[in-house]
Amino acid sequence: MAKPKVNMKKRIIFLYGVFVVLIVALVIRTGYLQFISGGKLKREAIEQQTRDSIVSSSRGTIYDRNYKVLAQSASTNMVCVVPVTIRKNGNAEEISKALSEILEIEYDTVYKKTQKNSYYEIVKRRVETDKADKIRALNLEGIRLDDDTKRYYPNGSLAAHVIGFTGDDNQGLGGIEKVYDHVLGGVAGRIISAKSADGSDMPYEYEQYMDPVQGSDIVLTIDETIQHFTEKHLETAVAETQVQAGAAAIVMNPKTGEILAMATKPDYDLNQPMTLTDEAVLASLEGMSEEEYNKAYTEQLYKLWRNKAVVDTYEPGSTFKTIVASMALEENVVQLNDSFVCNGSKTVSGINISCANRLGHGVQTFVKGVHNSCNPVFMEVGERIGVQKFREYYKSFGFGATTGFELPGEAEGIFFAEGQMKALELATSSFGQGFNVTPLQMITAVSAIANGGYLMKPYIVKQINDENGNVTKVTEPTVVRQVISSETSRTMCSILEGVVSEGGGKNAYIKGYRLAGKTGTSEKQPRGCGKYVASFIGFAPADDPQLVCIVILDDPIGEYYGSMIAAPVVGRIMEDSLRYLGVERQYSAEEEAETNVSVPNVVGLTMEKAQETLVGAGLKYHLEGEATGEIKKQTPRAGTAVRSGAICTLYTDENVEEKKVVVPDVVALPLADVNTILANSGLNFMISGVGKHDAQGILRSVRQEPAAGTEVSEGTVVNVEFRFASSD
Amino acid sequence: MIEKGTKCVKQKRKKGSIDIPFLTIMLVMLIFGLIMVFSASAPSAFYQEGDKLYYIKRQLIFSAIGFVAMFVTMRMDLRIIKQFSGVLCIISFALLLLVLVIGSSGGGAQRWLAIGPIRFQPSELAKFALIFYFAKRISEQPKNTIQNFTRGLLPYIGIIGAFVGVMILQDHLSGAVVIFISSMIVLLAGGANLLHFAVMGGIGVVALIPAALLESYRFKRLLAFWDPFADKLGDGYQIIQGLYAIASGGLFGLGLGQSRQKFLYIPEAHNDYIYAIICEELGFVGALAVAILFLLLVTRGIYIAIHAPNTFTRLSVFGVISVIGLQYIVNVGVVTASIPNTGMQLPFFSAGGSSLIFIMAAMGVVLNVSQYISTGGKKAAEKEKAL
Repeated sequence: MAKPKVNMKKRIIFLYGVFVVLIVALVIRTGYLQFISGGKLKREAIEQQTRDSIVSSSRGTIYDRNYKVLAQSASTNMVCVVPVTIRKNGNAEEISKALSEILEIEYDTVYKKTQKNSYYEIVKRRVETDKADKIRALNLEGIRLDDDTKRYYPNGSLAAHVIGFTGDDNQGLGGIEKVYDHVLGGVAGRIISAKSADGSDMPYEYEQYMDPVQGSDIVLTIDETIQHFTEKHLETAVAETQVQAGAAAIVMNPKTGEILAMATKPDYDLNQPMTLTDEAVLASLEGMSEEEYNKAYTEQLYKLWRNKAVVDTYEPGSTFKTIVASMALEENVVQLNDSFVCNGSKTVSGINISCANRLGHGVQTFVKGVHNSCNPVFMEVGERIGVQKFREYYKSFGFGATTGFELPGEAEGIFFAEGQMKALELATSSFGQGFNVTPLQMITAVSAIANGGYLMKPYIVKQINDENGNVTKVTEPTVVRQVISSETSRTMCSILEGVVSEGGGKNAYIKGYRLAGKTGTSEKQPRGCGKYVASFIGFAPADDPQLVCIVILDDPIGEYYGSMIAAPVVGRIMEDSLRYLGVERQYSAEEEAETNVSVPNVVGLTMEKAQETLVGAGLKYHLEGEATGEIKKQTPRAGTAVRSGAICTLYTDENVEEKKVVVPDVVALPLADVNTILANSGLNFMISGVGKHDAQGILRSVRQEPAAGTEVSEGTVVNVEFRFASSD
Repeated sequence: MIEKGTKCVKQKRKKGSIDIPFLTIMLVMLIFGLIMVFSASAPSAFYQEGDKLYYIKRQLIFSAIGFVAMFVTMRMDLRIIKQFSGVLCIISFALLLLVLVIGSSGGGAQRWLAIGPIRFQPSELAKFALIFYFAKRISEQPKNTIQNFTRGLLPYIGIIGAFVGVMILQDHLSGAVVIFISSMIVLLAGGANLLHFAVMGGIGVVALIPAALLESYRFKRLLAFWDPFADKLGDGYQIIQGLYAIASGGLFGLGLGQSRQKFLYIPEAHNDYIYAIICEELGFVGALAVAILFLLLVTRGIYIAIHAPNTFTRLSVFGVISVIGLQYIVNVGVVTASIPNTGMQLPFFSAGGSSLIFIMAAMGVVLNVSQYISTGGKKAAEKEKAL
């Protein structure tokens, strides 16, 4: 009995040993899984167990300098489906059908999303409240409505190229929206929470909340009103001149470098940036294959989004003479009264370069040369400056490099490389041909001429305010360098004022505001193509410049001189803007004499009294009917602005029909003829378009209001717009 | 009582008290197990049954029934167990056959009998019945009979073959493996010829291979064990989710009750995969504690077996302890992806009614035997020898 018993115990102990070894082995195996191969498994575990939800930060508002809203976010709804719940309830068809109907999207698109293996799927973003309410009313499990935001641009296309727009995920895609995306957008917050395998939240424990950093507000230097004036007048010019390559305008405060207005035409509605509306453009895309169409459509959009004022370069033409004249005066290589002779052309390095005036300007002073925009004078001046100094000033005025402006895509411009610039290149450069600059560089350089010689760094972001309205950043005006002396600056201001009052810039003249400026017309490459860039740059008042304005019209049809088509635009923008800013008009004695008067009220007065009143106001009168009793009617009505010396028609009998006359055609006539024709018809008239009409130069009417053929009462004021016919 | 106890044991052995260390270890495991069942089952109880206490309530009831069963077997005359072990074998075999006819299926296999709300797995009874019957047969046969192949070993093999065969027909592979190995171990300890054993064991293993390959779902499970990540959402899903839980634990775990994987990620988190939840919540320290508890229980059980008064009690205790140790090894082996995936409960820890009741009843037998072990080291051994 003993033997097998001992045997049995031995075997039991042996088998016990096997158990111990296996148990220890499994403990080691567990430890291996936890410590050695655990990292990767643990990460995967956490990945499946946690849900990372984004708490979107609200995007800041973009304001103009007076806190008028330019871009603002408003809350809308995001419609999502929860595939896990839908699978559980088995109502994918019902939900897909309901959502596709309300949201007007394909049934299949929605259905596919309900079948995804994920916690939730976005069906549509930025759903308006009425539709969201309809969906909410369905009360279907498996549909989720989350908050979403939509960007609104209350002014539509106003300052489109400056403001830019946002994409589907609220990311800035252009302009300020893009450059300051991080500032406006803030930092999205996150909620990290634990979720069960079925996607529901675990009932307890770790939930980490990272607060979103709300977006900041950006206050631009743009003045919405000035922007509006700028765009209005630029749009009119674009319509009239039918520019083929767009137009741009900038208004700047020369003392600080603040951009008050920046416009590019054609523009687009910021609320629908992805939609082309120009019918001509759309027509050009017709008949393309889908692929071609999409490609062309996108190309057209990109073209539309280009901020011409900053991104595109052009040959400045004669407007650059402002810079060259400043160089010459600063370097003292020319005196104001130096005498030059223009025969209509000048030969440089064997090549005959002609003046805009082929007949020649004859003998003239330097100042007159600027007023006449005489190319031979400037070729001579350029020669005196020399290549070296010319290049130095060119750089010094900020050309050939970006200004450091905030908006994206700023161009440097194109200039001759070192050594490439010889006498011929110097000669053409002296009247602004042969190199390219941006409108922004040009206005910045001219600001330096206007403000006493300081090159300012242009800027458009005035300040940044955080979500609580605390100012976090203020842009201070930055002087880059002094380019010319204040004396040269003063001299240039007065010469350029002369360009407008007496020279080629007369069409920009505004009565009472001493506008200084320079016209420019450059032929586009290749030379001889018949395409031009017309521009004008001006500032006012000349003795203390408050505003600088540049207008570029690229490839106009018909009239192409900057003096004819760009100068009046600058004049109008300046007049509206200066008046808006409350800059007082300073009338010269000459201007006082031709001041318009407001027709006083004479209805109810005796003839005698009426006569006294009208003559006192500098007006004439013409009586219809008996000279007894009170005046019953008058034309023009009280309050109408007329030129002094205009004739009022008075009626003493209430029942007498007002005398009717037909408005004659007075377009394309000199001032004297217009005057005669209208006077013979018994009509008064007002001059617009030019502020000055007794100066040298030929005034021709370009437009009239009311139109020819309209029947009006005798004495009615006809508004006639004039232009000085001139080249640059 | 003392009279009755003395009567039931052949040897004139004095009856002592039950083995307190063994009972203590078992109670600690049971309480630990209840806590873990509550923690692991709460989410699925809540999500699927609508009551977080659903499984723990059931488990408490089963524990109570288990205590009654344990008390009965502990106080029972061991002779009765010995006498009726053969009948128990026949009953359990009949029940296994019944399962084939009317059983309810679960997890691709058909292995349950439903008695009212309680699902009962006859294999739980069968594995212990077989152990007791083998212990009886060996103890009653003339010495060294088992060393003879045809007269000694073959009948046992025939009986094992019948049980295993029926269970394979039920697709209850894990149960078959436990019955096969535990009864084989009893034969081995009972003095079977090692050469016979090696040959038979080899044939048995070879026989299991086609059994595993026969059923495609089983074959897939086998593949899943080699590379669970090959079919992350299919056959490898449960294994991977278990590994995620173990790996998430680290040294000290996420804290009791803090498991994330129990939130419906791991199917049967409170049952076959409770070891993964223990590792996740209590870390390596928890896993080590579980292993030490099992080691202590097995060690103390072996101690009782070695000091048991006779062959029947010795082999019975050894067999019961083998089942406990084997289930730990298979369960932890599966959950740690060390062996192919098969459904196996972790004794005292997994939630599951019939399993716990039978295990506790078996523990009662061990405690019963523990009353008769010789307590006094060498002197006692000498005394025993002299008897």
